[in-house]
Amino acid sequence: MSEVTRSSRAVGGAAVARVARARRTLPNGWWGMLLLAAAEATLFGTLVATYFYLRLQTSPWPPVGISPPSVTLPLALTAVLVATSAPMLAAARAARAGRRGAALRWITLATLVQGAYLAVQVALFLDDLSKFDPRQTAYGSVYFTLLGVHHAHVVVGLALNAGVLVRLLGGLTNYRVIGVRAVAMYWCFVNAAAVLVVLTQISPAL
Amino acid sequence: MAVVSHTPAARQRVERLDRIWRERPGLVGWLTTTDHKRIGLMYLFASLAFFAAGGVEALLVRTQLAAPQQGVLSPAAYNQVFTVHGVTMIFLFVIPISTGAFGNYLLPLMIGARDMAFPRLNALSFWIYAASGIFIYTGLALGHGPDAGWFDYVPLASRQFSPDSGIDFYALGLIFTGISSTAAAVNFVVTIFKLRAPGMSLNRMPLFCYAFLAVSFALIFALPALTLALVLLELDRRLGFHFFDVAQGGDPLLWQHLFWIFGHPEVYIIILPAFGIATSIIPTFTHRRMVAFPLVALAEILVVFIGFGVWVHHMFAVGLPTAITIAFAAASLVIVIPSAIQLFAWITTIVAGTPDFKTPLLWIVGFIVFFTIGGLTGIMFAAIPFDQQLTDSYFVVAHFHFVIFGAAVFPILGGLYYWFPKVSGRMYHERAGKISFWVTFAGTLATFFPMHILGLLGMPRRVYTYHHGLGWGGLNLLETLGSYLLAGGLLLVAANLAISLRRGPPAGDDPWGGDTLEWATTSPPPPYNYAVIPKVTSAYAMWDREDRVEDARRLERGELVLEQGHETPASTVLDAEWDEVLRMPPSSWAPLALAAAVSGIFAMLLLGHVLTATAFVALAAVVLLRWHSVEPQDT
Repeated sequence: MSEVTRSSRAVGGAAVARVARARRTLPNGWWGMLLLAAAEATLFGTLVATYFYLRLQTSPWPPVGISPPSVTLPLALTAVLVATSAPMLAAARAARAGRRGAALRWITLATLVQGAYLAVQVALFLDDLSKFDPRQTAYGSVYFTLLGVHHAHVVVGLALNAGVLVRLLGGLTNYRVIGVRAVAMYWCFVNAAAVLVVLTQISPAL
Repeated sequence: MAVVSHTPAARQRVERLDRIWRERPGLVGWLTTTDHKRIGLMYLFASLAFFAAGGVEALLVRTQLAAPQQGVLSPAAYNQVFTVHGVTMIFLFVIPISTGAFGNYLLPLMIGARDMAFPRLNALSFWIYAASGIFIYTGLALGHGPDAGWFDYVPLASRQFSPDSGIDFYALGLIFTGISSTAAAVNFVVTIFKLRAPGMSLNRMPLFCYAFLAVSFALIFALPALTLALVLLELDRRLGFHFFDVAQGGDPLLWQHLFWIFGHPEVYIIILPAFGIATSIIPTFTHRRMVAFPLVALAEILVVFIGFGVWVHHMFAVGLPTAITIAFAAASLVIVIPSAIQLFAWITTIVAGTPDFKTPLLWIVGFIVFFTIGGLTGIMFAAIPFDQQLTDSYFVVAHFHFVIFGAAVFPILGGLYYWFPKVSGRMYHERAGKISFWVTFAGTLATFFPMHILGLLGMPRRVYTYHHGLGWGGLNLLETLGSYLLAGGLLLVAANLAISLRRGPPAGDDPWGGDTLEWATTSPPPPYNYAVIPKVTSAYAMWDREDRVEDARRLERGELVLEQGHETPASTVLDAEWDEVLRMPPSSWAPLALAAAVSGIFAMLLLGHVLTATAFVALAAVVLLRWHSVEPQDT
């Protein structure tokens, strides 16, 4: 017990890697993000439940005049987004090992892919809006809300990436390593939620 | 018996800690503080202010109903006043005072930590809570208070039937408060998991902390349903979506489901901190350990868990399929079991110990009486035919006021007396304290008990008046007189504590022979809580005299003093083995600034200025970047 790890003071790759190895439990920031993700996951769960609750009230679903959602493109996009979990986790791993350059590169790669994903999704969202209106039917209301809520989470994730990148440019510290780990976990949650959302979105066409 | 040490080495260490942890003076100190005790006190005074406002609203309602056909309030004003009364008492008083004030002030002390896990987030929770309360009351002050009841059922709350902005104040205000509660809940869980003093394994954690752990998990998993319901409502009202509109494929029952998926766990969020306070006060004043400690700890967790599966009992009268209602009726009966375990454990501890009925224990006895009454009427509502007969009658009002006021607020008042010496360093007036209890007890019975009878006689809830000749006048008058008596009792509590703050005799560190760690430090505690981090070997740390003597020796040796900055130990989740030393952030303007930016977002959303709201989002992002540019190694 006399061996005190003053992890908050660790600055620079070597020191950061040393405190990461010495730590036996997960850091507070990791736990905090896990609990936030739990709350957000509940939000998505309730939203998907809302979708199917409304679906039970209406037949046919989607209502007459609205064509069923396309399947291939949303699924492919989701696969791309889910794949970005890998570079984010690699970035967290590199940061823990004190390799700042690798962490920066992995996060940049993930950000580019996630940004492209969001751009295509926004284009699809606007295209859908030109075909049917959230103010016409409950189907439209819940369809656009479901997708909009998830896209908002992607926007937040991109903002987190940007913040972490800016801080990492100034060097590696224990605080920033925990930040990278928390952001990586956030993306794992957003990507898992994307699967739930896309399966709900395309369910009428299956 | 506090850690007392007079060797020069120990004194030097304490002086060093005093210097390191010194707070900024004056108003700036309060606005920028990240100290959990100061934040707890701000929560206390803010929530008491809202309690006073909600109390005045209650007295207005009772005055209006004192006799048939009165005109104290117009029907429209009456609707706003009873709605805001409910919203205030639940969201702005009971939850903030129990989690925000009691939890913030006491929980880090009880686990031997020097602060919460995320001190700046803690400050942010408070400022957002305060801003959201002001937001909701702005609506009322402008004459646009919400008026569809605290559960705000559609279609009444839809734009068609409530075109006024009152419902928007309600919806946006509660989303706003939800941010604060979620942040606070995350903070509590991480604090409990990671910051416990070395040796305080989970089975040695005080029951008070178990209650707060359970409440925090309930908040994390219950609030999203409310947030979603409110977002959908605003989309319907402001943008013309159709979630709750039958004509376009929506369903008003969707609101009821979402609201009560949140709303029933909410009941346990309200009551569990009271259970935690009771399990703190009872061992101290009966001089024995709690009976069935592991069972009570499990019951506290279990009551929350089952609480997520009973929401439909709020909807027995809306015409759901019988198979569904029966399943929820059964679940509602099952939840009696963990509640009864705790009730019997409290009673047995009091009977098996040597109770000293000082003021705090009296409030707990009152709580047990009222929780029994409110609990028994609650079980009655699990019976579907009974529920269908009495739903929306005054019987319901009687039931939930016994639970919320009798069972949740009484321990809060008892807790105010119990911890007053610790927080202020002075003793309250014992005799006046007992009188205040009996006056409040009698007032509570007189106010709420006759409501059972009125409900059985057929008086509906939420009516602004009633006709002559129904035979309801006498009991209503009794209730109104009771409510004045109740208010008088509460004023006695306030006067006792306010006067004692100045004139009370010094309390010393441990006036009660308390069982948990907060009594080990001085009254009031220094900003760093403990000069030496305590080591714990049982759930009744203060009754392990040897350990506390050893603390003093460690202070002399300089072991576990952590005097190189705002430092606190972090430990492993289950066994609380010391893992690392964390440096906590110093005072900061960032939480207040972020709360201001978030307030701007909500105000602009209310006014419909989406572009300006987006500008405030950008401002919030900038503040967040500044927030994270102050890192532990820089301080």
